[in-house]
Amino acid sequence: MSGPKGPGNSSMIHRRYVFGLLLRLWVNFAGGVAILFVILYFALSRPLPGDYAGVFHALHNLSPFLRPILAVSVLVYALLACGSTSAVCVYILHKVVGPLYRMELVLDQYRSGAPTRTVSFRHDDQAQPLAQAFNLWIGTLRRDRQRWLATMMDAERHCLQDEATCRAKMEEALRKITGDMARYR
Amino acid sequence: MKTPFLKPRPGRIRYVSPRFQGPMVLAFSAIIAIGGVIFWKLVDAEFQRVFPLAAIQGHYTFGSAYDIGRDLLARHLAGLFLGVVLAGSALMLLLVAITRHGIGKAVDSLRASADGDLSTPTDTGPIGKFDRFGEHIDAARSDTFASLMKIRSETTALAAGGISPEEFRLRWDELKQRIRRIAP
Repeated sequence: MSGPKGPGNSSMIHRRYVFGLLLRLWVNFAGGVAILFVILYFALSRPLPGDYAGVFHALHNLSPFLRPILAVSVLVYALLACGSTSAVCVYILHKVVGPLYRMELVLDQYRSGAPTRTVSFRHDDQAQPLAQAFNLWIGTLRRDRQRWLATMMDAERHCLQDEATCRAKMEEALRKITGDMARYR
Repeated sequence: MKTPFLKPRPGRIRYVSPRFQGPMVLAFSAIIAIGGVIFWKLVDAEFQRVFPLAAIQGHYTFGSAYDIGRDLLARHLAGLFLGVVLAGSALMLLLVAITRHGIGKAVDSLRASADGDLSTPTDTGPIGKFDRFGEHIDAARSDTFASLMKIRSETTALAAGGISPEEFRLRWDELKQRIRRIAP
């Protein structure tokens, strides 16, 4: 499974991360089943009485006796496996959800008009192309902004000459900026 | 003499998104619980059948009940493990696919924004977390687009002429301030 590729060929979610996640889950499930086996082994491995009648009665009455033991052992398995799997899920998935949460904060900050810094995630975080794409967008906007301001300031320099030239150059600059902005849709 | 106090580094918060991590934890727990219930029902039914059958057979060549139930227990434990592993892995791979799709759409949307497309919706997918994330991106793009359109209409109006020099100068300075506020 290879997802869409980002700039610099870095994938959204690394295969190594997915395999690590699956491996941890399998180990968890295997641990749960092993615990279930150990409980049932100890419940079933008690030696049967020596005489014929004793063995008959022991085996005959074993099924009702085992019913609550089986229920409790399955409950212990479920609780332990659910607990450890939940911990693994939370621990592992935060490497995907953490960057998304961080990006949400950055986007909120951007919308509020506060200065936006370049976004970078921790090296072991997934979804790295998201930060690269956001930085690319903000970088493009900043370059455009600088170009438009430079165009306006260039027009202002002509105000040292006569008023009519100044106004003409300013209007020319405005037309240039308007044309430049046409790419935004 | 004061002893230098080293402030411990704050721990990283792991439970970041209850909307995403919570349902995932519940889904995996449900798989484990359902597997456990099926195992319990099947093994209980087998125990009810196997031990009374062994009791009436009469040839007691075994030392414990484990010797009788070993094979069925091994079979059902293997079944439980395989069932839970397969269902858990399928869920995990589905989650990875949805995450890749959601993040991929968000990345595509941001790249399209860099190319000037600020109006096509991000469409990150049906999962709540990604849907909300897509809305965040779209809101930022929409704000930027509105701001750029205001600037564009102002540049068009100013370039059209017919404005007094005083008013032109005033609006020119305001326009510069407005442009400075893009991606601060």
